[in-house]
Amino acid sequence: MDRKEISRTVQGILIDILHLDNFEMKENMTAADVPGWDSLSHMVIISKVEKEFNVIFKLRELSKLENLDALIDLIQQKS
Amino acid sequence: MMLLSFGFLIFLTIVFILYWSVFQESAKSQNILLSVSSLIFYGMADWHLLFILIFSILFNFYTARLIARNTMNERPYFLLTGLIINIGVLAYFKFSGFFYAGITSMLGINGNSYDSLHIILPIGISFYTFQAIGYIIDVYNDRISPCCDLLTFTTFISYFPKMTAGPIEPAEHFLGQIEKKREFKYHCAVDGLRQILWGFFVKLVIADNCASIARPIFDNYMHLPASTLLTGAFFYLFQVYADFSGYSNMAIGISKLFGIQLMRNFASPFFATNISEYWKRWNISLSSWMMRYVFYPLSFTLRKFEKPGLIFSIIITFLIIGLWHGAKYTFIVFGLLHGLYFIPVLLAGKINREEVSKSSQLYPEVKDIFKMAGVFVLAMITIIVFGAENIRQAFHYIAGLFSFSIFSAPVFPDHTGYLRAIVTLFFILIMMSVEWIQRNKKHEMQLDSMKSSMLRIGIYYAITLAIFLCGSEVHIDFIYSQF
Repeated sequence: MDRKEISRTVQGILIDILHLDNFEMKENMTAADVPGWDSLSHMVIISKVEKEFNVIFKLRELSKLENLDALIDLIQQKS
Repeated sequence: MMLLSFGFLIFLTIVFILYWSVFQESAKSQNILLSVSSLIFYGMADWHLLFILIFSILFNFYTARLIARNTMNERPYFLLTGLIINIGVLAYFKFSGFFYAGITSMLGINGNSYDSLHIILPIGISFYTFQAIGYIIDVYNDRISPCCDLLTFTTFISYFPKMTAGPIEPAEHFLGQIEKKREFKYHCAVDGLRQILWGFFVKLVIADNCASIARPIFDNYMHLPASTLLTGAFFYLFQVYADFSGYSNMAIGISKLFGIQLMRNFASPFFATNISEYWKRWNISLSSWMMRYVFYPLSFTLRKFEKPGLIFSIIITFLIIGLWHGAKYTFIVFGLLHGLYFIPVLLAGKINREEVSKSSQLYPEVKDIFKMAGVFVLAMITIIVFGAENIRQAFHYIAGLFSFSIFSAPVFPDHTGYLRAIVTLFFILIMMSVEWIQRNKKHEMQLDSMKSSMLRIGIYYAITLAIFLCGSEVHIDFIYSQF
């Protein structure tokens, strides 16, 4: 899948789950930069990403993610 | 040796002078001094307990190296062994009494009491063991490389400012700082001293006075009206908060004297407008540890169950938070209640609302004040359970609140109770006002943006005066040093 398309879909998931207004995603953003992305909402987001892209992550893979860029790379690798 | 003792002041002064003079040459010499002084600090409490600390250091140092050296297939065995040994040692010291009492009561044996087993809980064991567990899991997950230097690792585990009651430092945050030489920074040391002063103030003026009001009420709860029970719960919640946040401020401030930043442990929890936000502000190092190493893997495993999986994970996480405090049913119920509090928040999907206190407005909105009050009441109910001798006392205490005597004037068992309560309430208001004003700062006494040196000195004098004039004459040991 095209990287831009993945990025757009991930942005949509974040807006939907975190109820964000005027949110513009940048790939070097970390969870701390996204309002409301905390340990409680994290797994809801990951679960939605898995469903949307039809991929399955491993816990170790997620533990190493440093920013959204790395998440998009991982999705691209798996899909 | 407790942080609030003359002996500790002498010890700290000597280590501080040596650290920035004789031992300032390199990171290695600085770490030698910190390790040796930390082991002395620990050994002075009970030198027998040093063996357990040294075992923990050596065991976790080599376990992490074995994890990193082995193949992906073999790693889980080493991690599992590491977890079993760490949790096993912790459980032995914390829970053997609980099981001993349970088994003897089940078998109807009235022989030796648990005390006859002579099992002493090593100081800080819950804190340094969790730190070590976090470290080996991080190495296993390739989040960090294993520490190659035993001296650096000894400093990480045994560092005396955080030894008694945390904060539970993540390895990635702490190791990075002590692997390089620390330079003396005047503004950092002064900032640390200010934070220590604030810690003294909240501990001696608020926590210990709150204890003098709350303890007699908890001890005589059966004969007191609901209004007094409510007063007791109110002051007990502030006692626990001021005691632990006061300690944390002192520990963080002391560490700054050595050029090492420890993580923040409290961030005005009573300004939280929901329970999720409350736990991001209360005992942050423990709650973030639990979130990372318990909630996160558990909710990952259960993610296909969506919200029920999330709810189950959070309840298990909080049950473990409860158990971490010790083997008492009251702690288990304390954790369970906090876990249950999350259910409406999770179901409503309101876990992500923007934090009120981060905004720059002068006052919170009325609806937010109501929400803060709601969270405070929930925290007050659970703190009754936390402070009660047993579940029965907690139940009767809470049941006692639901009475028409809630509208009567509180009666204090102690004849100085009224005056002490008014004075303490005044200082609680001062503390809360300072917290509100400084809510976007790193700590309550961060005054570096204050231009007037006269005003700063005035604040130091006022706090010192309050400590000498209104500090409680009865000093209570730090509550969390027993965990």
